[in-house]
Amino acid sequence: MTTDKCTNVTEKCADTKENCDNMVDISISKDVLVIGAGSFGLEAAGKIAAQGYSVSVIGVKTACARQSGCTSKMLETGKVNIMQDVAIDSLAGVTGDFRATLIKNAGNGAEYSEKVEKVFGAIVVAPQYSYSTLNKKYGLTLNDKVVSQSQFEAMIADPESQKKILNGVNGNGSTVAFLTGFAQEGDPTSTSRVLTSALAVQNMENCNAYIYAGNVKVGAKGLERLFTQGRHAGVVCFKPSQMPTIEQNLNDGVNTVKITIKDPVVRTDVELTPDYVVVEEAVVVGQQNLDIASTLRIDTDLYGFLPSNNVHRFPAKSNRDGIFVVNNSLDAANAALKLKELIGNGIKRVAANKAKVDEDRCVICLTCYRSCPHGAIFWQNGAAAISPAACQGCGICASECPMDAIQLGDFTDDSLRTSIKDAVVSAKDNQKDGQPLIVAFCCKNSALEACEAATKFGHEMPQGFRMVKVPCAGKVDVEFIMKAFVEGADGVMVAACHEGNCKAERGNIYAKWRVNEIQKRLEKMGLEKNRLIFTTIASNMAKEFAGKVNAFAAAIK
Amino acid sequence: MIVAERKPFDEIRNMVSNYKKVLTVGCGTCVAVCLAGGSKEVETLNAELNLAFKKDGIEFGAETLERQCDMEFLAELDNKVDQYDCLLSMACGAGIQFLAERFPNKPVLPAVNTSFIGVNLDVGWYEEKCRACGQCVLAMTGGVCPVTMCAKSLFNGPCGGTNKTSCEIHTDQPCAWFKIYERLSGQGRLAQIMTVSPPNDWSNQKPRKVIQPGYEERIKAMHS
Repeated sequence: MTTDKCTNVTEKCADTKENCDNMVDISISKDVLVIGAGSFGLEAAGKIAAQGYSVSVIGVKTACARQSGCTSKMLETGKVNIMQDVAIDSLAGVTGDFRATLIKNAGNGAEYSEKVEKVFGAIVVAPQYSYSTLNKKYGLTLNDKVVSQSQFEAMIADPESQKKILNGVNGNGSTVAFLTGFAQEGDPTSTSRVLTSALAVQNMENCNAYIYAGNVKVGAKGLERLFTQGRHAGVVCFKPSQMPTIEQNLNDGVNTVKITIKDPVVRTDVELTPDYVVVEEAVVVGQQNLDIASTLRIDTDLYGFLPSNNVHRFPAKSNRDGIFVVNNSLDAANAALKLKELIGNGIKRVAANKAKVDEDRCVICLTCYRSCPHGAIFWQNGAAAISPAACQGCGICASECPMDAIQLGDFTDDSLRTSIKDAVVSAKDNQKDGQPLIVAFCCKNSALEACEAATKFGHEMPQGFRMVKVPCAGKVDVEFIMKAFVEGADGVMVAACHEGNCKAERGNIYAKWRVNEIQKRLEKMGLEKNRLIFTTIASNMAKEFAGKVNAFAAAIK
Repeated sequence: MIVAERKPFDEIRNMVSNYKKVLTVGCGTCVAVCLAGGSKEVETLNAELNLAFKKDGIEFGAETLERQCDMEFLAELDNKVDQYDCLLSMACGAGIQFLAERFPNKPVLPAVNTSFIGVNLDVGWYEEKCRACGQCVLAMTGGVCPVTMCAKSLFNGPCGGTNKTSCEIHTDQPCAWFKIYERLSGQGRLAQIMTVSPPNDWSNQKPRKVIQPGYEERIKAMHS
């Protein structure tokens, strides 16, 4: 069986009969698209080109891109093509075979714009976020003495402004105060910017840097060293428990800021009237990045940043196979590494039957295409098609398909129906009088392991309890839950991964939605609502799992 | 299915006469099944238009989508519409409007009249069966729709105008309630005809939305 449906299947593999039945070779385009020509975008492009792939970079090259230092070297390789006035207009296809429509002269108000379609094996997004100054949260008005972190960075990069700082008011240096981590949660990038600027100030003759830090995030490579370097150079750091008292005086031509904190050890006020105050900035996602995310159909995190967080995923990977997101140098290296694994020499061997569409049943309603959290589904020749390379086998599509036209290789509907029936039959044989018969659908990424561990550790659970293994809670069909009741279960439990922890992004949420809906219907069928529960669990929670089962058993006794 | 009929040729000709490049867009679902707006009808219409506008040099392009009532399929035209100055849709009214929403800068013109929701009686022959009233009463009317078939859309009938199996409006028009009477008595449940059905809430005839049970939370989560 091979997936002839997939456009990029080239040849059947020459493996043993059995393996050949399940594996398929797929050709992967060796061209890579990088969206965003900032420093990290170019850094990624350089690393990818060094592996021998051709890279097209689109987006406006930023000033900081020069700092990445790989621009000229990259251009010499002839493998990197930077197209400044090009943007992505739409994207079709799947990993190994993305078909991107690029638009030239985009967004410049130019009347003439040209569209071209190009095929790429993989895509790297290097979002370029902008900043907004948080001076208002500190009650400060920006002026020549009170500046944002970005403004200050520009000042120390500019020889004229640098001279001003160096001279100070009386020609003997300046005092610069940095305010960070009081107006927002903070992140390693902003910590790094403050530490870098403070060190630069401290290294100027007669200049002193003071950092007032609230919530600082230091979990990034080199930050600890940067901090120590600053301390050794003489940077003074305060970490008060609350925002300092800040008084800005702008009356009668005066332009001063007084910062006061209470020293908890010596119990006195520590006052400072710096020559410059540098205010932290918040990173703003911006519509452009959100548009890119929606064009590429990749998820964003809670704050709109790309990509979404998923502990199961390798850093720099997005929810779609073959699309990477690069937010720093480390990401750039990781993306290049994973990209090589993906593209290799242009042929990739993948399991063919993770999920298959029955073309005769499919009515291309697009439900699977819209539900797939991995963007692995497309359509061609009047039927949906699932890319064996992009499919992660979660089964959300199969459960959502209104025609039952999708079957997972390892978890067909028939095999699951059999498992449910077997579970109930075997539970009946062992069930003790008065104890309920419980069927629990357990996600193999969490609840399955918790359940197996509970059994191994000898945590007591009712005799009439049986588990049905599913690839993801998202594969628990409404029909399966109903079947468990019809076969004779007294209670049904759907055990998924914790919210935000689903390997398939939202399989657990789909399961929860379905359970909520069936609960509403149960009462109309004459069953108590509490006979069906949804719960979340982690794989290391064996005792808790047993506890949940016992509590459920007690509730429906 | 939704049944449509192609508009008279003169009407279409007048609509497109002011444009230089026209893209005729067919729909591969209902209107294709009822022989009004599928791939074949697109080609036929374009041939007629080409002949009619031979001297004027209007160019006609052809595309037939899987459905015009799904944005994903309309997106297949994204890279094509730029070269046209008008779109001529052969889909039902829903498809035409969705096409116009997808390409708000292009004039979108209808090439068909959407007739009704109906059934296929033979090749090319269709009959209206449903008015999408939103309150189905077929259980009590023996599977015959009084909203569609009765001239007065009566939920409780027949009225005084029933006339020896036909309706008072015309002898060719059967009386819906006579049909209902026959069906119910044939099934031995004629007594049911005496049950008074409450009137339909006709104030529901505003643009309606349906969210299937179980999908409310999904839609809230995905579109917030």
